[in-house]
Amino acid sequence: MNQQENAALTRIGQIAINAHDVDRATAFYRDVLGLQHLFRAGQLSFFDCGGVRLMLDRAEKPEFDHPSSILYFQVGNIRAAHKRIKDAGAKFEDEPHVIAQMPKYDLWMTFFRDSENNLLALMSEVPRPAATE
Amino acid sequence: MLTICFSEVNHFMSATATNTGMTNPGITNIGQISIITHDTPRATAFYRDVLGLPLLFTAGNMAFFDCGGVRLMLGPASSPELDHPSSILYFRVPDINAAHRHLIEMGVEIVAPPRLIAPMKDYDLWMVGFRDSEGNIMQLMSEVPRSS
Repeated sequence: MNQQENAALTRIGQIAINAHDVDRATAFYRDVLGLQHLFRAGQLSFFDCGGVRLMLDRAEKPEFDHPSSILYFQVGNIRAAHKRIKDAGAKFEDEPHVIAQMPKYDLWMTFFRDSENNLLALMSEVPRPAATE
Repeated sequence: MLTICFSEVNHFMSATATNTGMTNPGITNIGQISIITHDTPRATAFYRDVLGLPLLFTAGNMAFFDCGGVRLMLGPASSPELDHPSSILYFRVPDINAAHRHLIEMGVEIVAPPRLIAPMKDYDLWMVGFRDSEGNIMQLMSEVPRSS
């Protein structure tokens, strides 16, 4: 690899998510979202989501004590996922809806809150019948 | 890249099904992450020219980038509630020292120099903290295998 390739940002390895109560947040990401819990290290709790690690943590400094970026979790069937997560106790802001018509698919989304009141979303790319031939 | 992603997803799905049974609602991966901008052209230049990520497309005041299969959506906050810094994103790099030098050459503010964060079982986890053009703290990370 040359110098440029060595310095290249290849992918997202981890995302930090602020939690005010790491036990409560761990239960939410494990039991409501069904993500795989990797390990716990003190006040840090790690999950895997399709190869990206999520790190739940209490803010170290006031500067870091703000909500998470919106993470858009990909699902195959957004209506079924919406129902399962809602039935498991998550608070949704809306119903699944088409947010953008892309050339080959419709992009569906629905927004919800985690146990720490972070705004998150489910997303699903639904191919158009004409594009699947 | 796609092949690797799908095999990871499949592995993850089967592991999750075993661990959590009926509660798994079918989340396969992170498809997108939103990053709030205060100046989208400035942020677009930073993510494209400094971080070197591929710009997928722009739509109005939003810019979409790819980072190893995850889409980054840069755009202004749509409500005051959302106008806060980004989550810390940890970008993987092959060589943390080369990437650190690159950021310095590009004039990026480094908030934490390259340092060993955690000695894991099979590798050492190194990180470098920096700020993007919007003041968000981000990290580079690299898993350096032990030679033994």
